[in-house]
Amino acid sequence: MKPARTLLLSLFAATAVVASFSPVGAQGPGPLADPRSENQAGFPADLYAWVIPPDNPQTPAKIALGKALFFDDRLSADGKISCDHCHAPAKGFTDQLPTSMGIHAQFGQRNAPTILNAVFNVTQFWDGRSPTLEAQVQGPVTNPVEMGMKSTEDAVAQIKAVPEYQKQFRDVFGRDVTFADIERAIAAYERTQLAFDSPFDKFIGGDSNAISDSAKRGWATFNGKGRCMSCHGWNPTQPLFTDQKFHNIGVSAHNANFVPLARKALDTLGQSGGGEQEIDKLAIGTDMSGLGRFLVTKQPHDIGAFRTMSLRNLLVTQPYFHDGSQVTLWDTLDHYNKGGVQNPYLDGGIVPLGLSEEEEDDLVAFLASLTSPEYEQAAREEYDLQFKRSRTNRPQRDTAAANGDKGHEPGLAGPFGDIGPAQNQENPALLGGD
Amino acid sequence: MTRRSIALATAAGCAAIFAAVAHAPRLRAQQAPPLPVHQVPDAKNGGTVVMLCDGKTSVEVKGLKPGESMTHAQAVEVTRELMVQWQREHPDEKWQMAQAGQSSQTVPAPPAGPSASLAAGAIVIGVKPQPKGTQQGDTYASFTDRDYKVWKNETDNFVAEGKRIFHDSKELGGTIGVSCDMCHPDGSNTHPETYPKYQVQLQRVALLRDMIDWCIENPVKGKALDPNDPKLRALEAYILAQRKGVPLAYGKH
Amino acid sequence: MAARHKSVETKYMEDRDAVLRGLRGLDRRTFLKVLAATTGAVMAKSLMPPHSFQLVEVANAAPDKTASAAGMAGAPPFTFAYISDTHLYERTLNQRFVRGAVKAVDDVNALDPQPDFVLFGGDLAQLGRHEELDLGRQILGEVKAPVKMMVGEHDWFYDMGDAWQEMFGPPNYSFDWKGVHVVVLMSVHEKDFWTARKMTPLERMHTVAGLDNGIQSRFEVGDDERKWLSADLANVPHTTPLLVFSHSPLYKYYRNWNFWTDDAEQVQAILKPYRHVTVIHGHTHQMLYNQIGNISFYGMLSTAWPWPYAPTGLPPLTVQMNRADPFDQFDGLGDGRINLRADGLADKIYSLWDRNPVTVKADYLVSHGKIARPPAPQFASY
Repeated sequence: MKPARTLLLSLFAATAVVASFSPVGAQGPGPLADPRSENQAGFPADLYAWVIPPDNPQTPAKIALGKALFFDDRLSADGKISCDHCHAPAKGFTDQLPTSMGIHAQFGQRNAPTILNAVFNVTQFWDGRSPTLEAQVQGPVTNPVEMGMKSTEDAVAQIKAVPEYQKQFRDVFGRDVTFADIERAIAAYERTQLAFDSPFDKFIGGDSNAISDSAKRGWATFNGKGRCMSCHGWNPTQPLFTDQKFHNIGVSAHNANFVPLARKALDTLGQSGGGEQEIDKLAIGTDMSGLGRFLVTKQPHDIGAFRTMSLRNLLVTQPYFHDGSQVTLWDTLDHYNKGGVQNPYLDGGIVPLGLSEEEEDDLVAFLASLTSPEYEQAAREEYDLQFKRSRTNRPQRDTAAANGDKGHEPGLAGPFGDIGPAQNQENPALLGGD
Repeated sequence: MTRRSIALATAAGCAAIFAAVAHAPRLRAQQAPPLPVHQVPDAKNGGTVVMLCDGKTSVEVKGLKPGESMTHAQAVEVTRELMVQWQREHPDEKWQMAQAGQSSQTVPAPPAGPSASLAAGAIVIGVKPQPKGTQQGDTYASFTDRDYKVWKNETDNFVAEGKRIFHDSKELGGTIGVSCDMCHPDGSNTHPETYPKYQVQLQRVALLRDMIDWCIENPVKGKALDPNDPKLRALEAYILAQRKGVPLAYGKH
Repeated sequence: MAARHKSVETKYMEDRDAVLRGLRGLDRRTFLKVLAATTGAVMAKSLMPPHSFQLVEVANAAPDKTASAAGMAGAPPFTFAYISDTHLYERTLNQRFVRGAVKAVDDVNALDPQPDFVLFGGDLAQLGRHEELDLGRQILGEVKAPVKMMVGEHDWFYDMGDAWQEMFGPPNYSFDWKGVHVVVLMSVHEKDFWTARKMTPLERMHTVAGLDNGIQSRFEVGDDERKWLSADLANVPHTTPLLVFSHSPLYKYYRNWNFWTDDAEQVQAILKPYRHVTVIHGHTHQMLYNQIGNISFYGMLSTAWPWPYAPTGLPPLTVQMNRADPFDQFDGLGDGRINLRADGLADKIYSLWDRNPVTVKADYLVSHGKIARPPAPQFASY
């Protein structure tokens, strides 16, 4: 972990395509950190071509450099935190914590998103404050509760101090180390973390036995009564289960402070909160984090809105939502089923769904089928844990609200109508649809 | 002026006109050759002979004594027979009916042999008159006005059924009292001409009926209809019928 | 959860006290008139009284300036809010419309500072049934500010206004507010189309409820009420700003959908002599505004469902709103506020749900679109 020791390990750099300057622990990042093949079922080749920026093409040397940097804790102020600290390959490139812990054991306000398939995100972070993978790098590096660097110059200085890095940067970029190039290298590595090839992808590809009947029913509910598809959109061109947009689904409203904070924020609309670093600090470090996309756009309709996340590999990227507040997939479904948590800015698409227990189980089975093969074992173990917990422990469940038996306003007694009848839609995949 | 004096004046006026008219031929006779006079052949069977204005074609109406009136049906038959005869003499002549709204057509070529009986009111229907100079004999060329009328009635009824369901939340299977016309009065804002397109709410490429089904499931809160359900087809028909004349524009958002 | 607003009982007592205060300010004849009207109709029946007593306002319909001494002196600027077109079904049938109505009440209660009053713009019920109106009254009972009720056709044509008048008082009335004369019209009368067709009350109501069936008559204010309006305005100086609340638009937008008032020209003629007139109307469920001569017209949003723009007849000044997303139960809906300016003109804020709010300024209307143009749509109706 210390600079001196890692120089010795540079023996491996010359031979391997994948160089490891600062191995995680003593074993190295492991095979889960390797770049993934594009030869996976469901891989969107067209989309992939669109999202590689022309000014940062993929090359093996650049990817190797980026990987080295990704696992290098020199990028932190105390030399103890590298990117994989919160984005560990074995943990689906997350840390499986509700919110991440950074330098000096400080906790941030947001759950670490996965790097898997991040290449396809239109914007990065839960609130989309970063337009590219490259720009995203700076956020954690200079954030005081994450990697704690005072400035990007400090980070550059740390990297420059290593002659091997200097050589690598000159080879790849033809110039001395700059932070922009650090960003480019890391982004290039991240663009190799592709996770498809799931049982669902094979099912869509024509193998009707690839997923269970329960998962098939879940897929039908996903498209129908569950209303999931409208925001967690999937199609063969963009098979990511996200519309890349921002919605307030009421997660922030769990916090009693949210509404007063939001109203105060609206009043001071447009004042202060300027640059990227300022927003980054607010988003990660303060109770304004719950305001979500609003911090970036200052638009009233963005209050409490967060990015629709991809649904792939959920069983290795728990816990869920921007604050990591939900521990199992059943908890997330219970949240949607009852119509989210009421607040004045709740997205109008969030309504009580009236899903039965069986329908929720089927939906979870469907979500489980979105696991890429390299995570199959870990996902199965997590599924068993979550399943067991879901039989007895359901803090978000509110069946009366889900079924419209009571209204949201205290004092407005139900019962109310409005929950649709059970769908009779056939499985859309079986109908010959996409 | 009193009534009586008006009458006198009118009579005097008529007399004057009459006198003028009576004099006119003599005046004209001094300037131009005499007008031709048609020679109407004698009746052979004790009836009345009616002659066409070409001065050649004529037909005898049996049983009609001179001075008697024909019934309307008889008159129609007589004129038809005259035209049949005329056509026989002038097979290559074209002619058009002067009445408004009538398509040009010829009287069907009569069968060989004596002319058809002049039974009053005999009108031949169900046989499409074949216009000269057009392709004949195939399926589409045999469609008649009666066919069109029947089919239009069927189509309009189908569209009307769709309209009925469109306006009725119970017919739609809705459970919350919401019907399509609440957001789409007169089918407005349905833009069927833009399908197929990627429908954001469905997150897939949709046809019109897919979106109808989605709306039934979501705002209307009913069960989605099977694609072959007559109700769904009728709804689709009504919506399409409201956009007659709008150019197709698939994929338009 | 801490109580955010007063109970209905507290509000009732406060309103009652306000009535009595107002009554003391009246001359004897008007006092007796009010007493006669109220005692018989409301108090004697031991019914839950109307949420906001219009008694004093009814009394003020007579040109009587003494009531202004009872606490309504002042001048613009002031702000009032509105909730309109809730179209409530009875609760076991449809929760969605209830959610919308409750959301509007929450919005209005969260305003800081509070508006002077909240106008309810008509169509409280969907089919004019007693339980629907009752549900609406219960929901509006949570509004903190005083509520001024206005009737819509969906409230009226089941029982020709019996339940409405019993619950909320007379369908047309007027009052003065901070130097502005406010008239609330019943502008959805219809010539009888039901007797000849032998319709039951429910059939009549369903016919009126359908926008595009073409069977119902066009809306009108009607001869009697126009006479009432003339009389009401007889002693109002022409320099006094006028606010006219109406359910139908009081101009002619699209006949087929009854976005229309048949005697619009006659009503406008009555309003013509006044320097500044602002009409706030419901029924059209869309962002809509117009200027005809001296009259500005602002349409209110609905809380239940949005209408598309009509194929013809849209006032040229209206800048359309983007099409609504049917996935979003609140899109194209909302509530809003009207700011009465010191000069007697009015700006309107459309608080569109799930969208950025849009402000339409009187300057835009009065300049016939030359300045202060509202933002353009990206997805207009087609």
